[in-house]
Amino acid sequence: MKSTCLALLAVTAAALAIEPPPPTLPSQARFVDKVIVPVPSEVFAALDKLGRPKWAGLINRASSTAKPTGESSQIALMLGTIIAEGFIAVEAEDADEVRNLGRAILTFSNALGVRKAVVRRANSVVEFADKKQWQRVRVELDGALTDVREAMVELSSESLANLVSIGGWLRGTEALCAVVGADFDRDGAELLRQPMLIDHFGEKIDALRDRQKASPLISQIRKGLIELKPIASPQGNARITQRSVNDAGAITKSLVAAIQRKSN
Amino acid sequence: MKTLTSLLLVIAIALSTTAFAFVDDSHSRALDVATPYVKQGYLVRDEFWSGILPANQPMIVRHQLFKGNTYWFWLGSEEDKARVSIHVYDTDGKLCGIEDWQKGPRAAVKVIPKRTGTYFLRVVVEDSPIKRTRWSLAYGFK
Repeated sequence: MKSTCLALLAVTAAALAIEPPPPTLPSQARFVDKVIVPVPSEVFAALDKLGRPKWAGLINRASSTAKPTGESSQIALMLGTIIAEGFIAVEAEDADEVRNLGRAILTFSNALGVRKAVVRRANSVVEFADKKQWQRVRVELDGALTDVREAMVELSSESLANLVSIGGWLRGTEALCAVVGADFDRDGAELLRQPMLIDHFGEKIDALRDRQKASPLISQIRKGLIELKPIASPQGNARITQRSVNDAGAITKSLVAAIQRKSN
Repeated sequence: MKTLTSLLLVIAIALSTTAFAFVDDSHSRALDVATPYVKQGYLVRDEFWSGILPANQPMIVRHQLFKGNTYWFWLGSEEDKARVSIHVYDTDGKLCGIEDWQKGPRAAVKVIPKRTGTYFLRVVVEDSPIKRTRWSLAYGFK
C-alpha cells in the first residue's frame, strides 16, 4: 500500500507543472518563493458581489464539535478546515457557530502543540463574534491562521503548517463550488481558476517526509489536486463550465470528508 | 474615531505578525501605507512578502487574484532614502494597475482584476544609498 502511494505520487508529479510567467517580464527578474494563500473570505467577497449566497446552509456544524483524531498531519488538515468553516460562519453571520469554531480552533491547536500562539486570536474571534463585528472576526481568523502557521514553523513543523493551509483551501473551495453549483454563474465559476495555488499545494505535498506521503489521506489529497488542476486551468480561452464546477465540488467534498473522517 | 480604530487595527496586525520574529521596519512601513485604506473597508492580510534587493534588480511575486474584488498592494522599505516601485502584470504580461503612486520608500498599486487567475507583482528598489535594501509587500482587498 505504502509503495503504491509513493509510486502514484512519483508518476503524477509531472501533472502539476508550474504555470510559466508571462514573457514580457524582465528575464533577469527573480521570483519570490513565498506564496500567500488567499483566505476563504477573499473568494467569498467576490461571490457576494455576484448575488446573495445562502451561507447559513453551507455551514458544516460537525466541524465545531469535531475532536482531534489520527496523526498530526490529519489534525493539521482538520484545523485548516475548521478555520475555513469560521469564515463561512462569518459570512452567515452566525455568532454562536463562530464562537464554537473559535473554541474548536483552540482544541485543535492544543493537539498540535501551538495553543499558546493562537489563544489570543481565538479569544478575539469569540469576542468580536459576540459583538457581531464581522470584519474584525475575519481579521482575527486570518491572524489565527498566520499565528498557527508561524508557531508550527518555529517548532520545525513547516510541513504541518502547509497542511493547515491545504485543509483550509479545500474547505473554502468546496463551499465555492456549492454556491456556484447551486446557482450557476460564469464569473462565479471562474473563481475556481487557481492553477498556481494547486501547483503550490502539490509542491508542498511532494516535500513531505516519505512517511507522511505514504499516508492514504495525503495520497488521496495529492490525487485530488491532480484531478482539480485541469478544471482550474482549462486550455486556451475555454471557460469553466457548470459540469467542471460540479466535478470540483465532488472532489473537494470527498477530500474534506476524508480529512474529517475518524479512521484514516 | 474611525481613523484611530483603523490605525489601532493596523498596529495590532503589525505587532501580531512580528511576535515570532524580529521587528520588521519595512513591514511596519508597508502597514503604515495601508492605514488610510482600512477605513475604506479594505481587509489587510496578515501575511506579507519580504526580501532584500540591490538597486534595479526586480523581484517578482506571484499572487492569485479574484475578479470581483478590488486590491491594493503596499510596498515599504526600512531605508528612509530608498526609492521603491511596484507594478502589476496579468498572465499575458500586460500592466494592469489602475492607480499607483510612489513616494520614496513607499509605493502602492491598485488592481481590479478583469479575470480571476495568477498575477505578477514587480518589486524594484529604484535607488538606495545602501547595497542591499530590505522591502516588504502587504496587501488588502474588498
